[in-house]
Amino acid sequence: MLTRNQTRGSLAAALLSLLATLLVPHSASAEDEDRIDFNQEIIPILSDKCFACHGQDEEQRAADLRLDNAADATADRDGSPAIVPGKPDTSLVWERISTDDPDLKMPPEDSHKTLTAAEKETIRLWIQQGAEYREHWAYVAPEKAEIPASEFDHPIDAFLDHSRRERDLPHNERADRRTLIRRVTLDLTGLPPTLEEVRAFVADDRPDAYERLVDRLLDRPTYGENMARSWLDLARYADTHGLHLDNIRSMWPYRDWVVQAFNDNLPFDEFTRWQLAGDLLPAPTREQQIASGFNRCNVSTSEGGSINEEWIYRYAVDRTSTMAEVWMGMTAGCAVCHDHKFDPLSTHEYYSLYAFFHSAADPAMDGNKQDTPPVLKLYSEEEKEQIVALRKDLEAVEQQVKEAVASFDYTDPGTLDPAPEPEETETVWFEDGFPAGANVQSSGAPLKLITSGEGPILSGDMALQRTAGGLEQDYFSSGAVFSVPSGGTIFAHCYLDPENLPEAIMVQFHTDGWKHRAVWGAEEKIPFGKSDSTEKVLMGELPEAGQWVRLEVPAAKMGLKPGQKVTGYAFTQFAGTVTWDRMGVVSRVDRANDASWSFAAWKKKNQGKRNNDLPEGLRQLVRGKQPDQWSEEEANQIFEFWIENFYAGTGEELAALKSRKTKLKNQIEKAESNVPVTLVMADLKKPRESFVMLRGAYDKPGDKVSRNVPAFLPPLPETEDGDYDRLDLANWLVSGSHPLTARVTINRFWQQFFGAGIVKTSGDFGLQGEPPVHPELLDWLAVEFVEHGWDMKRLVRLIVTSEAYRQDSTVTPSVLERDPENRYLARGPRLRLSAEVLRDQALFHSGLLVNKMGGEGVFPYQPPNIWEPVAFGGSNTRFYTQSTGDDLYRRSLYTFLKRTAPPPFMSTFDAPSREQSCTRRERTNTPLQALQLMNDVQYFEAARAFAERMLKEGGATPESRLTWGWETTTARPPTKKELALVTELLDDYLNRYQNDETAAKEVITFGESKPDEKLNAAELAAYTLVGNLLLNLDETINKN
Amino acid sequence: MQPAHDYFKLAQRRQFFASSGLSLGGLAYAMLSGQTATASPSSATQVHPPLPGLPHFAPKAKRLIYLHMNGAPSQLDLFDYKPGLQEHYDKDLPDSVRNGQRITTMTSGQARFPVAPSKFEFKPRGKSGILMSELVPHMHEIADEITMIKSVHTEAINHDPACTFVMTGSEIPGKPSLGSWLSYGLGSESNDLPAFVVFTPTFPAGSQAQALFTRMWSSGFLPTSHNGVALRGSGDPVLFIRNPPGVTKDDRRKMLDALGQLNEGTHARLGDPETQTRIAQYEMAFRMQTSVPELTDLESESKETLEMYGPNVGKMGTYASSAILARRLIERGVRVVQILHRGWDQHNNLPRLISNQCEDVDQPTAALIKDLKQRGLLEDTLVVFGGEFGRTVYSQGTLTKENYGRDHHPRNFCMWMAGGGVRKGLTYGETDDFSYNIVENPVHLNDLNATILHCMGIDDRRLSFRFQGLDQRLTGVETPKVIHDILA
Repeated sequence: MLTRNQTRGSLAAALLSLLATLLVPHSASAEDEDRIDFNQEIIPILSDKCFACHGQDEEQRAADLRLDNAADATADRDGSPAIVPGKPDTSLVWERISTDDPDLKMPPEDSHKTLTAAEKETIRLWIQQGAEYREHWAYVAPEKAEIPASEFDHPIDAFLDHSRRERDLPHNERADRRTLIRRVTLDLTGLPPTLEEVRAFVADDRPDAYERLVDRLLDRPTYGENMARSWLDLARYADTHGLHLDNIRSMWPYRDWVVQAFNDNLPFDEFTRWQLAGDLLPAPTREQQIASGFNRCNVSTSEGGSINEEWIYRYAVDRTSTMAEVWMGMTAGCAVCHDHKFDPLSTHEYYSLYAFFHSAADPAMDGNKQDTPPVLKLYSEEEKEQIVALRKDLEAVEQQVKEAVASFDYTDPGTLDPAPEPEETETVWFEDGFPAGANVQSSGAPLKLITSGEGPILSGDMALQRTAGGLEQDYFSSGAVFSVPSGGTIFAHCYLDPENLPEAIMVQFHTDGWKHRAVWGAEEKIPFGKSDSTEKVLMGELPEAGQWVRLEVPAAKMGLKPGQKVTGYAFTQFAGTVTWDRMGVVSRVDRANDASWSFAAWKKKNQGKRNNDLPEGLRQLVRGKQPDQWSEEEANQIFEFWIENFYAGTGEELAALKSRKTKLKNQIEKAESNVPVTLVMADLKKPRESFVMLRGAYDKPGDKVSRNVPAFLPPLPETEDGDYDRLDLANWLVSGSHPLTARVTINRFWQQFFGAGIVKTSGDFGLQGEPPVHPELLDWLAVEFVEHGWDMKRLVRLIVTSEAYRQDSTVTPSVLERDPENRYLARGPRLRLSAEVLRDQALFHSGLLVNKMGGEGVFPYQPPNIWEPVAFGGSNTRFYTQSTGDDLYRRSLYTFLKRTAPPPFMSTFDAPSREQSCTRRERTNTPLQALQLMNDVQYFEAARAFAERMLKEGGATPESRLTWGWETTTARPPTKKELALVTELLDDYLNRYQNDETAAKEVITFGESKPDEKLNAAELAAYTLVGNLLLNLDETINKN
Repeated sequence: MQPAHDYFKLAQRRQFFASSGLSLGGLAYAMLSGQTATASPSSATQVHPPLPGLPHFAPKAKRLIYLHMNGAPSQLDLFDYKPGLQEHYDKDLPDSVRNGQRITTMTSGQARFPVAPSKFEFKPRGKSGILMSELVPHMHEIADEITMIKSVHTEAINHDPACTFVMTGSEIPGKPSLGSWLSYGLGSESNDLPAFVVFTPTFPAGSQAQALFTRMWSSGFLPTSHNGVALRGSGDPVLFIRNPPGVTKDDRRKMLDALGQLNEGTHARLGDPETQTRIAQYEMAFRMQTSVPELTDLESESKETLEMYGPNVGKMGTYASSAILARRLIERGVRVVQILHRGWDQHNNLPRLISNQCEDVDQPTAALIKDLKQRGLLEDTLVVFGGEFGRTVYSQGTLTKENYGRDHHPRNFCMWMAGGGVRKGLTYGETDDFSYNIVENPVHLNDLNATILHCMGIDDRRLSFRFQGLDQRLTGVETPKVIHDILA
């Protein structure tokens, strides 16, 4: 056996060795087999057992010895070097690990680490073989190897051919046209081909028919929808915040941007820059800002009691680790707590990356709202104009109010003699919307104020309407204040929809808490407050439906005391559709002594007190000075404010103006709330200082760090101030010289089409990851990708036009045994379709699929009690309200994704919950999947609609119909045997359903869409079951 | 068709798996590589066998029932008796006790931290004299069956991270849950039911309920086939277990016979072992369509047994019904059953609200232990009862003798274990006079999970899964300590 050491000493031996290499290229010679692989065998031992004290961590370093690089390890050290290459016996390392002397033995006793005999021997052999340190393959920039000579023209095949020959693996012939068009159409668009497309492709005898097909598919908008899926897994995109309440988050414009970016074939370097740092680009476009939302897709919380620093820290860690995994295949998370054990990433370096994200401007608490800042509002031109116009109107009205107040003819009733008698007075608290300034919140669907075209209105121009799936409400508990008069009676008007009755309705009032309620209907449906107390006054039956009813409750009955401040109210209901309008209080008022009528009385009452309903300046004035010390101007200011905001007798003119003002404000709010909004990335003006966090604890800062990249990777370009931002980081990743970005990216594309990447651990290109099975091919593709401007469509085209991709997927036992995971591509890829593709395919064949692109998430069929049993009571994603009509049949990409309870059709088929970045989905095979595909309404309804197509489009005989159905789902006509089997089954079912009309009816009416009444029910039912079978064929749920 | 026919087909298929060298995909591969087939007599036919080499040693417990009281039950009002607190009523918690420990921002703004003694009466229960309050009268009867651990602790101080930690060993979402690890490591003894079943029962109206998260029973980075399967209180007990309306079992059987033959044809043509797995999974789905309704049908239970679980046992979706179903599941070979009962987050009005909670769970929990015992199942079934953290000795909000609230307290809380491998009638760990700090035998949740795994025959260091470059474990990076003192 030749060792490196010996060859060094002998030219002849070296030549021999070279010759051997040439003769058996890349084969596993005896020498190679015995040769210790530094990265695979030595590094894990050294890093686990030695580096804690003799590694890159300076603080822990003992004896001033480093073993993590050759220079330090072989340094002379006064004549006793730790490692002498080729000579274990004179190497201190060997001496110390092989001794039995407990005082000298390494690793020392107190480290609780020991080396096994095998590990010691490995180290000894390695030293003997020359103690070669090697840089990890993935940290050296890829270079294009020459394409091996081969019978194949396609570079991918030339490389593969080479590796297959080494392993004596064959390769398959091209798959037939039918298999091929189905495979590539599913892979590029996520939808199957139509029967017409299949037949046209079979008939297309042009030599480049396949390439033309690929080009057509790449041009389809469905391509972007399909490619977005995997990227959104990486980006951890979802429609809720993900933690605690898990409320709605408005992020879908980002999802739509990803689709568009794939369709526009945005080069991957731009794709990267926009997402990591779109906000930092010069004069960023709307799209660039939306793209920066990548950094905002992480889960966030607003759980009461949380500690802000902890969450700011966690969000930055999430963003850093996600960036590292997505672009660099780096499992950086390990370095959060300690220097990475295997990869040369120190904690310090980790936190230097973290510093790029640590100054994000989003708050620690997401506020449980859909638009946690920073956000971008996506106004259409129309919306912009409309809102500008409304604001202009508002300004005008505010001016008018000001003038009306200034010229208001007021006589203080407190100064009249005789004082006026007390009289009945109505004060309105709700009309045309919630009071201006109130922080209105809703549970369930967003707040909806309707106008007369949209439903019943009692008075004014608008009313509040809600259709609830369960317990829902509109409310506020800060921002506006009302005073409870003595002897007051609360009134409110409601209109119950007789077609959709609620089970209970309630009004609630907030003082120093939600403590005052009145309920009509099934009170147990609304669990707030102690039943039959002031916390929950039981008012009996629901009011009559289909008409406006005035509800009245004495304020005292709900425990509201005269003079008490009402700081909020709620309109609450359980289920049904309820419209509310005009709510307030009536009372007998003694105007001479009432602060809402007599300015003098108000002054007397508030003098020297802190009144939070006053704006800052006036508040100081009232609190700090006696009224008689007020200057004339001050007195006037306070008086005018009082008239506008507190005076109850403003008269019709001013009341009308004020109501107009409220209405305009509400209209603006409504218009604003209709504008789509999306979370975007931005940094704080003044960056946070970042520190190494000791052992990953948010409250244990260590050394201060500045933004930088790890030393084992290429450096950032020098800048004058040595300061960098996320854009520098993004540019660095896509500079073209980064060893990881292109490799990691093309590997994921490979994984998408072939099931496993060239590097199987597609999220880990570090020392613990699996080495590439075709290193030259990986590097060739990576360089090719960069050289062609990071062109993603070009890369995809390159992959799917390879013979490797186009092969037949048939596998023999012998090949299966040698290459069970198909890493060497001796056969074409055959893989179970993804969750989304399975559902979309069923909808597509059924004709139910609605092609509309983009927009807010939709709510397709979902069994009851997926959200409800887990969601927090106050969450706005507690009740799943299923969509109706078209939204039931949109592509799965548009399904609303609640992270803490994802849709079963997704999770059952291995779609991630998107709580964290996911590089690779599993492909499991479980009974729950079978149950779903057979019995879930969305698949069964699709089978019925598909059956209708068989009956209408498949010709007149069972034979032609079944053939049509079979060919549609599998892209090939059935064999005689298959047809016979399916025909027999159809006959059985026909027979059964002809004898059971009720069952037939049930079968064909499952789901929301209606079957064609002209079709015979029994026949349609029988075909439905056959359709159900066809959609469950192994051939249908796989790409073949 | 006929059961005999089904059985015959199934037997044939099994034989195929057992003898064919072709079947390297998924299930078939797992069956072939089930090298511990001799460890358990039933595993010859196990569809989901254990991993090779597992269990690592003879297990004391073969199954786990985990009763999680979500929201954090007050240890001070249930199991951690502090008679001295009466003297401290409404006095400030001494600084020397709090010692600058962090508290949530819900009470960190409070001017005072007044001590709230429990209003509930405590007494030693059973022969062992384990202390329990009057809130759980039925649990008194099982005091001699359990080990009470008073010194459990965690880091998380808010529900979401704490719930995620107690179930997955990590505060950050994405890690596999305890049940998923057990399913992954030990497989299932049932061929007709999933290995890991989860209940999310109803809870008293008006309780302060925190959210649950599916990540508490999700498989994280393990294959999703190890996800906990929710057994649901309404609608289909297992999702899509029912045939669509108008489709009978016979109709389905016919379809599956045709499907099986057609898929066999596909397999003959393409040779993909996954196709064989798929055929088997469709057959298992069919069997589940029978086994699940049979499982949820309580007809065969005796009147005495039903009465033992209390009045709600017949109402699907209640805690009582979940408890008896848990027993029925483990009888049928299910590996892990987890019941997550909500509503234990009593920041105020604690005495009233915790009474409601206890009324919901006390009797069925005690009944479950007794029922397991009377059937000889308790010997090799481990039962765990607890929450995600504890509650503070000081009151949040209003404090009177009769009414108070308590904030989150991760520094010590109580959990108990019973059955397979655990000592009976033992109290373990001690806290200071304010139930604020552990003074003896701390048990971190990682230690507790390592102990649970130990009872199930697993060395927690050796049950790992390579993910993101690291050998990931339920119990984290640092080696936890198995609490041998509580093991029989």
